[in-house]
Amino acid sequence: MMLRAHPRKPRRALVTAGIFAVVSTIALSGCGAGGGAPAAGDDSITVLVEAGGHGELQPIADKFEEDTGTSVTFVELPYDGLFNRLNSEFSSGSLSFDVAALDSIWLPTFAEALTPLDDMFTDDVQSDLFPALVTEAQVDGSFVGMPAWTNSEILYYRTDLFEDPAQQSAFKSEYGYDLAPPTTWEQYSDVAAFFTQDTDGDGQIDTYGTDVKGAVETEWLATLSQTGEKDMVVGDDGSVSLGDADSLAALDFYTSLLPSAPSGAAQLDWAGSQNLFNQGQLAMMRFWAHAYKQIPADSAVAGNVGVTTMVGGPGGVAGVPGAWYLSVPAGTPKQDAALEFVQYAYDNNELSVDTDLGLASRISVLEKYQDQPGYENYGPLIDTLNSEATIPRPATPEWQEIVDSALVPMLQKAVVPGADNQQLLDDAKAQVESITD
Amino acid sequence: MNGLETTRISSRAILWVALVLLVVLYGFPFLYMLFTSFKTPLETIAVPPTVLPSTWTIENYASAIGRDGVVPSFINSVVTAVLSTAISLVLALPAAYAVTRYRTRYGRFFIVGALVMRMVPPIVIGVPMIGIFRSLGISDTSFALAIAHATISLPLSIWLMSSFFEAVPEELEEAAKIDGASRLGALWRVVLPVTAGGIAVTAIFAFLASWNEFLFALLLTATRSQTTPIVIANFQTQFGLDWGAMTALAVMYSVPVILLALVLQRHIVAGLTAGAVKG
Amino acid sequence: MRITDRRFAFFLMLPATAFLAVFVAWPLVQFVSDSFFDISKFAGGPRTFVGLANYVEAFTSGDFTNAAWRTVVYTIVVVFLEFVLGLTVALIFTALGNASRVFRTIFLYPLMIAPIVAGLLWRFLLIDNFGIVNQLLTEAHILREPGQIQWLSDPKIALFSVAIPDIWLTTSFISLVLFAGLQNIPGDVIEAARLDGASYPTILFRIIMPLLRPVIAVALILRGIDAARAFDVILIQTNGGPQQSTETMSLLVYRTLVRFGEPGLASAMGTVYLIAMLAVSVTAILLIWRPGNENTR
Repeated sequence: MMLRAHPRKPRRALVTAGIFAVVSTIALSGCGAGGGAPAAGDDSITVLVEAGGHGELQPIADKFEEDTGTSVTFVELPYDGLFNRLNSEFSSGSLSFDVAALDSIWLPTFAEALTPLDDMFTDDVQSDLFPALVTEAQVDGSFVGMPAWTNSEILYYRTDLFEDPAQQSAFKSEYGYDLAPPTTWEQYSDVAAFFTQDTDGDGQIDTYGTDVKGAVETEWLATLSQTGEKDMVVGDDGSVSLGDADSLAALDFYTSLLPSAPSGAAQLDWAGSQNLFNQGQLAMMRFWAHAYKQIPADSAVAGNVGVTTMVGGPGGVAGVPGAWYLSVPAGTPKQDAALEFVQYAYDNNELSVDTDLGLASRISVLEKYQDQPGYENYGPLIDTLNSEATIPRPATPEWQEIVDSALVPMLQKAVVPGADNQQLLDDAKAQVESITD
Repeated sequence: MNGLETTRISSRAILWVALVLLVVLYGFPFLYMLFTSFKTPLETIAVPPTVLPSTWTIENYASAIGRDGVVPSFINSVVTAVLSTAISLVLALPAAYAVTRYRTRYGRFFIVGALVMRMVPPIVIGVPMIGIFRSLGISDTSFALAIAHATISLPLSIWLMSSFFEAVPEELEEAAKIDGASRLGALWRVVLPVTAGGIAVTAIFAFLASWNEFLFALLLTATRSQTTPIVIANFQTQFGLDWGAMTALAVMYSVPVILLALVLQRHIVAGLTAGAVKG
Repeated sequence: MRITDRRFAFFLMLPATAFLAVFVAWPLVQFVSDSFFDISKFAGGPRTFVGLANYVEAFTSGDFTNAAWRTVVYTIVVVFLEFVLGLTVALIFTALGNASRVFRTIFLYPLMIAPIVAGLLWRFLLIDNFGIVNQLLTEAHILREPGQIQWLSDPKIALFSVAIPDIWLTTSFISLVLFAGLQNIPGDVIEAARLDGASYPTILFRIIMPLLRPVIAVALILRGIDAARAFDVILIQTNGGPQQSTETMSLLVYRTLVRFGEPGLASAMGTVYLIAMLAVSVTAILLIWRPGNENTR
């Protein structure tokens, strides 16, 4: 049998050579090809952020580069991915960032690996920050993060519905008092029930008074604070407060709104809720303050949204502070540049106001803009954060695990009709205790 | 065919209907993703949802491409896949040849070992790999990820190439050796050209294994070598998901390989057949 | 400089062996050895030997046993449905002969789709409120209203819902592999059975299946292993929720390792997972290949 290979040999060799040439070229450039590799040397830093944070910090980064010559590269990750990345990088010891924007609840978890920022927290600085934020920024007596922007839930409501005379008179005749954005739990229940209506007469309810979120925990935590609870889930002494009277009252109120809310509560998260409101299906929504700016101009509710402080329970108005902090990992070689950026971000906090999220952390900045058009959410935000019942989340290193394994599952079960709230709280308590022991 | 084919018109008609239904059901998800990518961001999450866009727009594509890191991730995906395929082939070809042609005890041991490697869940070796690459100084590079991907594709490459080598008659190498070629020479000059089709098939599967891989990319890449599957998953923010941009990117990532598959379908089917017959 | 054939073969296999030793075996050893320690989540932190404590904690934790159970259920559901659907499709292709060529080509495309994309796709199709599947089912009067079935948010059915993209992706593979196998069945056997008056089901179960056994075995074992290792698809759809009802072993190990930063415990769980996988697949191979060798024509 003749070797068929011979006539094809020249072409085959050429092809092989070609492939190897391509491959070796690529291999040489393969290490680090494509990616936005930060320039070696001291004139650049890498900041790890989440999408909202990227927007908030971009104007600051631009100005920082102008003023100092140090360029800032952002690495953007989704919320969960950011937490996972921080975990895996801290545990492997190979850091790819110099500054990170951290959710407040992560500070205790990573405090051990962060550079203390005590020098930055002068009296002037502390007085321009909400007390809850000053508390949150400290772990074991040392400041580990500088607030970059803060957030809290506030109450959104449909002005077109609330100012409609027909709705007003119907409400007054049914409940005996004037229709207005609710300030107490009872009013909230009444208004929510009232606005759960069948507006097109087909026998099916198509608009709802509010929503009930079963997939995220912070709104329930705010409800918990509204009872006047001082030990949010875990107290300073490590004891777990779930299952006490306050937590039961909060969970009962939270689930009592189910008849006035769309179905699917167990999986309703922030995105779902925001979407429902923007599409016009809810009369009221408790949501983070930044959503105000994000209402699409072409949505059904644009121009008809009002904002006010969070609802007040037996303990008063309360929200959960949702601040994000800039921290510097102790292991980065670019300590000076990183710390410089963090300080600069605080000094230029005002630049974050005109961004997609549109929030700031300094009280002076928020107060400056609260009366300007487009920033109507600032007033309610300030008032909610300043309220006495507003307390930060506990500084437990296992907080994320507590949320994932105990709180969210508890809420998801509680929003199922016929749930035994006390039992669920007790079960969650046992679970939290096993995590924190 | 072999007698399993039906010729009765009525049977065929029913089967055709079933087949068309099947293909429609199978194709619908991807088509829907395609349609969604052309909707406005607000319409992608409209309640109730629509199938066809009411207005066709390419803003999702623009926003996906314009996002930081998307285009570099594409480059990274290509580079990683090519490198990983090369590594896989370079290692698999001699090994598979040795296993088929020289039935040594070590060869059998090796094949079993490679098979065992295939059963390891990636999460088990992924995290230790982070440490290994760091000590080699190649953390967060396409090269490192390519190595990781090669560990996935190597067992299959060896297996496929074994079956292709088995199909080559030994007389070819005998003839070459009589002509004075060394064993290596016989392999290089005679066997490989003959199995070029098989090599192409193996290369395709190795490429796909890398192109579509997620977990190793998640664990081993950070800023420089991130591949597109990670970017697609990263379109989530704390408060939601940009479905429009996500579907646009997913479409852009899948269409090239789908087209590749259509062009190379004969080879792919050959690969599947080789897998089937080998058993 | 003529070395023996055996030596030559050994050197040919050496690169691959070395590669697998360094990049698979060594990490594996590290992972397993980590399971005997309590390791700090921060690099350079304390690392204390604790013997079997991590294993005890794993076996007594509900999370672990539940995840193991879910992995088994998921694997069985996925493999079974893939096989049934794949075989059906392969038989249809065969019955229609060459005319189905175009469709066979179309059926190739899911193979090209990344599992992460498939998971994303089906999440979008099945998601509450704006998922198109429920909308279409309601319009076809199969459902009363779109909110009736909550595919990904009902803990009772979520595990089966997340299996859908996996099944969708791999049925293509199985059907094409089985189709190839069916091509290889000699026509005279079928003819003889037909002449004897055997009905289609009889031919199917008594003749075709046994002949296809090696092919089926290989395909099922491979897909079974992949299903037990499934990660991307599930992660992107539900991230293990709701209420951890879709948390399989891969996700549990990942979560414990990367999210909660407990490398020691995660390693213990992962090692048990690994041993289970190896045991099951080796058993399956031995059971199906040994006798299979005698039956191959």
